[in-house]
Amino acid sequence: MEMVLDLDGDRPRDDEIMAQHYAIRAEEAGKISFLGNKEPLSTLAAEYELGNSIFKTKIEKLGEIYGAIRRTRGDGNCFFRAFMFSYLENLLETKNNLEAARVKDSVEKCKQTLLDLGHAEFTFEDFLASFTEQLDAVQDVTLSVDKLVDNCRDQAISDSVVMFFRFITSGEIRKRADFFEPFIFGTSGMAVQQFCRTSVEPMGEESDHVHITALSDALGVPIRIVYLDSSVGDGGKTVEVNFHDFIPSELSQEKVKPPVMLLYRPGHYDILYEK
Amino acid sequence: MPTSLASRARLFKEYKDVQREKSADTDILLTCDENNIYRWTAHIKGPAETPYQEGIFQLSINVPEQYPLVPPQVRFLTKVFHPNVHFKTGEICLDILKTAWSPAWTLQSVCRAIIALMAHPEADSPLNCDCGNLLRSGDLRGYQSMARMYTRLAASPNVSH
Repeated sequence: MEMVLDLDGDRPRDDEIMAQHYAIRAEEAGKISFLGNKEPLSTLAAEYELGNSIFKTKIEKLGEIYGAIRRTRGDGNCFFRAFMFSYLENLLETKNNLEAARVKDSVEKCKQTLLDLGHAEFTFEDFLASFTEQLDAVQDVTLSVDKLVDNCRDQAISDSVVMFFRFITSGEIRKRADFFEPFIFGTSGMAVQQFCRTSVEPMGEESDHVHITALSDALGVPIRIVYLDSSVGDGGKTVEVNFHDFIPSELSQEKVKPPVMLLYRPGHYDILYEK
Repeated sequence: MPTSLASRARLFKEYKDVQREKSADTDILLTCDENNIYRWTAHIKGPAETPYQEGIFQLSINVPEQYPLVPPQVRFLTKVFHPNVHFKTGEICLDILKTAWSPAWTLQSVCRAIIALMAHPEADSPLNCDCGNLLRSGDLRGYQSMARMYTRLAASPNVSH
């Protein structure tokens, strides 16, 4: 890529830096789409064929429960994008119109939270609509899995839904600031407002358990995260695949199987399918 | 919605909001180029009890087509002596205009953030090194008198520039 230098100063101008930043992103975009195709879990095993034996053992164990994986682009938005597809695909396949209606109610509550926090409606209404349009299409049976895949790969729709999730995640965190504060301070050293402003709301900022908890609570949707890392239990004697189910408080008394199951490898989330 | 349509729709909503709120925030006057909704100009009042007090500063705002998913490009057209503003180009060093941008911001709230930056200079990330050095060496008087001088020279409403 050719850099245009500002001859008047000692550094490139901001618009030049931003232009290069977007050009690099676009280049990355060419390599893997926002959302991949469903692949057998064996493709994951192939990735680690020459690698760490702990990973190999864990992937074998993973294979006892999960049969397939769908990859997402590692652009910092992967958690939200994976959630978008996985949740809507589950709605489609279970034809769960009741759940679609329930989540629409949650969306209304999220909207009220944002208004209560002082956001002007016009700053988020288009993003909100991008998500509810998907829910409408599920209810009207006008959405197929193929169409959903296309929507998640379409930058305008996909980014818009991701942005909506970022808004409501931030809203949930700020609404329950007392609850989230110790977690946020403990992991980032930031105050709640600062964390939301710099690590939740901007596109491309990666998600951790704070984001996952907040989104799961805001929409009332349980999320399972399966961790694939090199950790071993019991002083190295046992190798188990750890997972954690994020269950919204109103469902915490029930036995629920999360509709969304994601595979976490440090810094990245992909979608998992049970056998 | 294609991005250009989305950005137009959003800007039009901001335009209506600006018209409605005109009397509420008298420190900011935002105007849109009548032929191009992607080009705006802002006039902001220098914050009180700062060397920019009584100055009126003009900002140029260029909005990209991917707005609001990417930030607007904002720079000072009026000369200003501030550690986070490039003295020649008027470029502004402010996180929300770069990495910390989100569509939760509006052109109006961006202007408010710039006014806040004028009142709270960050000497550790200077675009104007001379100005940053004055502040970092503790020469507050030196900084204030330079900043005040440029406010008088360039940002006083009764002086043509």
